[in-house]
Amino acid sequence: MFHFGAVALVVAASPSAYDRETRNVMAKQIYFTALQVLPGFILVATLGCFVVTRAVFSVATAYGFTEYAQDLAMRVLVLDLVPLFVALFVALRSGSAIGTEVVLMHINGELDALHRRGADPLRHALVPRVIGSTISVVALTTVGGAISLVLAYLGVYGMSPWGLEDFTHSVGQIFDSMTTFGLGLKSLLFGLAVAVIPITASLDTPRIIRLAPIGVLNGMVRLFLTLTLIEGGSLAVRYL
Amino acid sequence: MPPSAPSSETPSSEPVTTAPIRHLELKAGLLLVLTALLIFSYIGYVLYARGIFEGTRDLVLVTDNSEGVLVGMDLTFAGFPIGRVRRIELGDDGQVRIRVSVPEKDARWLRVTSVFTMERALVGGTRIRAFSGQLTDPPLPDGAVRPVLRGDATDELPRLLANARALLENLQKLTAADSSLGHSLANVKSLTERMSGKGGALAVALGGEENARKVVASIDRANKLLDSMTGVAARLDQTLVKADQRVFGSDGVMDGTQKAVAQLNAALGDARESLKKVDAVLVDAQKISANARGATDGLAELRAEVDASLRRVTGLIDEINRKWPFKRDVELKLP
Repeated sequence: MFHFGAVALVVAASPSAYDRETRNVMAKQIYFTALQVLPGFILVATLGCFVVTRAVFSVATAYGFTEYAQDLAMRVLVLDLVPLFVALFVALRSGSAIGTEVVLMHINGELDALHRRGADPLRHALVPRVIGSTISVVALTTVGGAISLVLAYLGVYGMSPWGLEDFTHSVGQIFDSMTTFGLGLKSLLFGLAVAVIPITASLDTPRIIRLAPIGVLNGMVRLFLTLTLIEGGSLAVRYL
Repeated sequence: MPPSAPSSETPSSEPVTTAPIRHLELKAGLLLVLTALLIFSYIGYVLYARGIFEGTRDLVLVTDNSEGVLVGMDLTFAGFPIGRVRRIELGDDGQVRIRVSVPEKDARWLRVTSVFTMERALVGGTRIRAFSGQLTDPPLPDGAVRPVLRGDATDELPRLLANARALLENLQKLTAADSSLGHSLANVKSLTERMSGKGGALAVALGGEENARKVVASIDRANKLLDSMTGVAARLDQTLVKADQRVFGSDGVMDGTQKAVAQLNAALGDARESLKKVDAVLVDAQKISANARGATDGLAELRAEVDASLRRVTGLIDEINRKWPFKRDVELKLP
């Protein structure tokens, strides 16, 4: 898994890998994973962030900690809930699809056929999917983060523009360089995991067609565990 | 599962599952550009929020304990954040030096006379505050070193707890079964029991029931004595009234006495007259002595007159004696 992930990163970092076919696969992956669902995602993210912001604000007000409500909402949403929600969303929608597709290609021998024709299946079939998924996760996380910041402002100050200075100060307090770097790294790891883990699980599956669901299942379980580990590690680094 | 799974077009064996998407790469590129734009805006906004783009002034706050102070926390003035802790270091003298960056635009709130305090509340973190009494004073120079006054709510807690414990120990000693307070209360209890018992408070004050009974008996006797004294006084009063009537009332002793004295005066006048007559008689007798013979008749008459006068005087004196009661019995006997 780590080997495949490292190879995928190396391939992604080499400009020569991006030929027309590769770009096309990547674009398709991005289209199906992120663009196609973007309106629905924006709607769900807006509703979810609104509910969480209001809930945090109400509880903080009830306990007399109104001044900490905004900080808390921003921390919870931008740093934890939104990235985790995006990763799970992409994992369920695209990770399972990628796993199924790769396990079928693997069992049917399509990857070997590619190899026999001189095309590197890793470079032309697998890595574009990994890159596409990673970009999708990062893009959706960014959009979700922006939505949650806007709603954190609206939830506390309403439509008044006079809270902007205070809000900016809070953002400056929360998102120091280490936190921002950690958020970027976490999103990247989530994006890689969403594609890499189902693919490796599929490639490990024996070439028996009835074992295909097992391969997909294994991939999803490992993916879930990995996402949990990444989130837990992120929390541990920040708070322990 | 998506309605149509992504697929590679490279292998010819792969079934075509999707219809060609128009402007696929353009759309994907747009999303990439949007994402990059958002990320750069976000980074730019955070950098702006952290005050990277504005000039700052340094301020060093010196204290003996930096507990609760974190890098990035605010320095507030009138509730507004005007600076941020950049660094905390321990100086060679053991004092903590808290380096605070204050943006140029907020530096005007800090003056050379500004006072800095650090407070630790029970809820919420430590707060560093600035107070500027005179905003007309010269501004605080860059790199100024100022002491920070500490006020710690939790510092008071151990002392408070120690005091409370001492208080509780004292209380425990006071309320223990063999404490002096306990003994006192027991004494009070027995006292009140005795007070509510026979003899009451008097027995408690006199030390015994017998004594109390004696006192009560004495009081009773005194009361009786007073009653009889009242009767005596009433009778004395009556007696005095009677005596008054007898002595000074009409036909009383005084009146009788006055009359007797008047009669006595008259009697004495008679006697003087009689004596004058005697004197004259004696002159006559001297004359008569020469002529004794003729004088004997006059002498017998004179003697009868003298006798009569003396008898009247005697009767008068008797009358006085009779009317004057104190002559006979001078002692006033009280009933």
